Amino acid sequence: MIALASLLWLLHKQEVDEQRNTLIIDTLWVEQNLHFQLTRSKEQLQQVMHEYFNGDIPGELLDSRIRDLMANNPGLQQVLLLDDGGSVLRSSIGLAEQTIAGEGLRPEATFEALRLARASGNPVFSPPYADATHHLFDIVVPEFKNDIFIGSAVGTFAIRELLGKQVPWWFAQKYRLSVTNAEGVLLGAKSNVETGEESLSYMIPFDPPGHGLVLVATSYKVESGLIPNLLAVVIVGLGGGILISLWALRQHVQRRLAAELALSKEHAFRKAMEDSLFTGLRARDLEGRIIYVNPAFCRITGFSAEELIGLGPPMPYWAPEELESTLTAHRKVLAGQAPSEGVEVRLQRKNGERFDALIYEAPLIDAEGRHTGWMGSVLDVTERKRAEELARQQQEKLQLTARLVTMGEMASTLAHELNQPLSAISSYTTGCINRLEAGDLPRNELREALGKLAAQAQRAGRVIRRVYDFVRRSEPKRAHCAINEIVDDAVGLIEADARKHGVRIALRLAERPPLVMADRVMLEQVLLNLMRNGIEAMQAAEPEHRQLTVGTELADGCLLVSVADRGSGVAQEAAAHLFEPFFSTKPEGMGMGLNICRSIIEFHQGRLWADANSEGGTVFRFTLPIEPA
Amino acid sequence: MNSKVYIVDDDEAIRDALIWLLKSRRVTAQAWPSAEAFLADWRPEMRGCLLLDVRMAGMSGLELYDLLCQRESRLPVIFLSGHGDIPLAVAAVKKGAYDFVEKPFNDNELVDRVISAIEVDAAHQEMLAGQAMLASSLSQLTPREHEVMERIMAGKFNKVIADELNIAMRTVEVHRARIFEKMGVKSAVELAQLLSGKR
Repeated sequence: MIALASLLWLLHKQEVDEQRNTLIIDTLWVEQNLHFQLTRSKEQLQQVMHEYFNGDIPGELLDSRIRDLMANNPGLQQVLLLDDGGSVLRSSIGLAEQTIAGEGLRPEATFEALRLARASGNPVFSPPYADATHHLFDIVVPEFKNDIFIGSAVGTFAIRELLGKQVPWWFAQKYRLSVTNAEGVLLGAKSNVETGEESLSYMIPFDPPGHGLVLVATSYKVESGLIPNLLAVVIVGLGGGILISLWALRQHVQRRLAAELALSKEHAFRKAMEDSLFTGLRARDLEGRIIYVNPAFCRITGFSAEELIGLGPPMPYWAPEELESTLTAHRKVLAGQAPSEGVEVRLQRKNGERFDALIYEAPLIDAEGRHTGWMGSVLDVTERKRAEELARQQQEKLQLTARLVTMGEMASTLAHELNQPLSAISSYTTGCINRLEAGDLPRNELREALGKLAAQAQRAGRVIRRVYDFVRRSEPKRAHCAINEIVDDAVGLIEADARKHGVRIALRLAERPPLVMADRVMLEQVLLNLMRNGIEAMQAAEPEHRQLTVGTELADGCLLVSVADRGSGVAQEAAAHLFEPFFSTKPEGMGMGLNICRSIIEFHQGRLWADANSEGGTVFRFTLPIEPA
Repeated sequence: MNSKVYIVDDDEAIRDALIWLLKSRRVTAQAWPSAEAFLADWRPEMRGCLLLDVRMAGMSGLELYDLLCQRESRLPVIFLSGHGDIPLAVAAVKKGAYDFVEKPFNDNELVDRVISAIEVDAAHQEMLAGQAMLASSLSQLTPREHEVMERIMAGKFNKVIADELNIAMRTVEVHRARIFEKMGVKSAVELAQLLSGKR
């Protein structure tokens, strides 16, 4: 911009210089012109006067010559021909239109010039002088004959008229031309239009007539040319354009920077999210090669990202013993059949430790909507499974405890109820004995004590009866039922538990067995109890041997139900006590299960017993009488 | 108030049987059907032994025991506990109850324990009385006599005591005689025995 401004300033300066040069040239030209004109006027005057004094021209011709002279010399106001004494011989007055008044107007300046001309013998210009309306000067031309002064001619010029007529229009259009005397007083001007203060001007001495007269040309303030203005406008416009585009560029850069910052922030945020996830993320291409893993995935598997990226199946984190199933799952994913509820796979860490992972697979769709691979999220569910297992065990323990507490409470209540009368009986008895020994027990007191004793004994009896009544109230309700349905129901209830223990349940059911008269819920309880025992008995068995077989068949007019396990079997000494109450081979057992089972079966007029299984383990069998149709 | 057995049990048969049993051994007994009823009749002067059933409707025996402790009852307490309450009864014994017996009781053994509790209570009572007497005897001593007594107890001779307290030996002898008289003893040895019971 500074360069632009200086350029403009330089242009302006050049323009001013040029104007000044033009002004000088023009002024010089005008001065030259005026000089030439006055010289010509002087010569013509000299000519006319010479001819007159030599008598070459008659009187009337002289007048016309003077008229011509006045017409040809603009600004010439008056011509006088004087004799050697200074008297007027001939005047232009009346011959031509004349602007100055008064014949023989010869002020001091004219006489001075006359004297000088006579003395020098050369034409002389008088100093300027003024009449009422004009600033004037004279030219005095002397005439000698044989070196004797015989007369002279005087031409009077009005400065304003001289300028007005001798300066061309184009000059006047550009400049104001004025004449001032030595004191700077304006004597005449071509135009009365004032110029501005700072206008250019040029002064040149106006000689002839001399006498300190000065020509002053002052240029009018001209409108700068269209082209420089246009240039300036264009330059300023371009400058402005550059500024605007710079500003716009800056805005753009700032927006871009802000966008970049936001993008990098967003990226950092996304990265932080990915990195802080507990869920392992892994992306695979369409061929199943790993193209991305997040830190959580590395943490879960123990492999670094560098070790994993680019690998195809089998992956190093697949457990070798589960290779088949993992590969199957992998192929399913690649075929686009990944289950939406996720797939649970056993994987291994780098250190060989196994862990259970829940994997969700989803197609990886890129920004253009192309399917470029598979995105999997991997959750380490080992802890969760362990916790679930623990919770389940705890729940079971709790239920067992609750059962024990309930039974304990009942037993305690019963004990208290019986204890009260028994204590009283004991105290009465001891008191009686004490007094009998001391020998001071009258018969009536003894009778009274024995009466109280009997009452307490009856009270104890009532307690016992209440217990019996309570048991009776919960008598089973028997109805016709299909044994196979009961077996199915019981198996359905225990199936989940069996799976958890890795036990398969096989059914060998009789076809369309006859109905039995039984309490459905109780029989279900018996079956559940026997099956649970069987499952628990096979805990230590080889996985392929963990099979529980439940069968129903018709035998000797009875329905025979069997529950066979392939566990460790029952020891000889335990077998004898198997159905006794409070006998248990299990550390947390109450020893009531089989006892109750036997009671229930006996209530149904059946029999429950245990045999050794020929394939190893134990078979529990019970019979139920068939209801005559 | 004479020593007595106070029975608190919500079972009438038990109350009656226990009274019958205790009477057969010539022990006086009185019974209340609930903890609340007993608490209403309770007096600090009650002497003897409290037979308290652990499990009762309403306030339990243990709650009653805690309340009595708060009221600074010195009555020895024997808990009668059923089958399930033994841990509770043991805890109560640890807190200062005299004993517990399990139902059904060995009856004469129960009576023996009751009698021993009554004796302990009486002995305790006697000790308290002795202490009160000793305190009143001590309060009769003048400050100078206290000083002299302390030095006698320290085994100092009269001469030493006189020098220490800057009094005449004769005066010490007079003080000594006064102390023995006020404390109701005849010798320094008796005095020492009396005080050792307190100190």
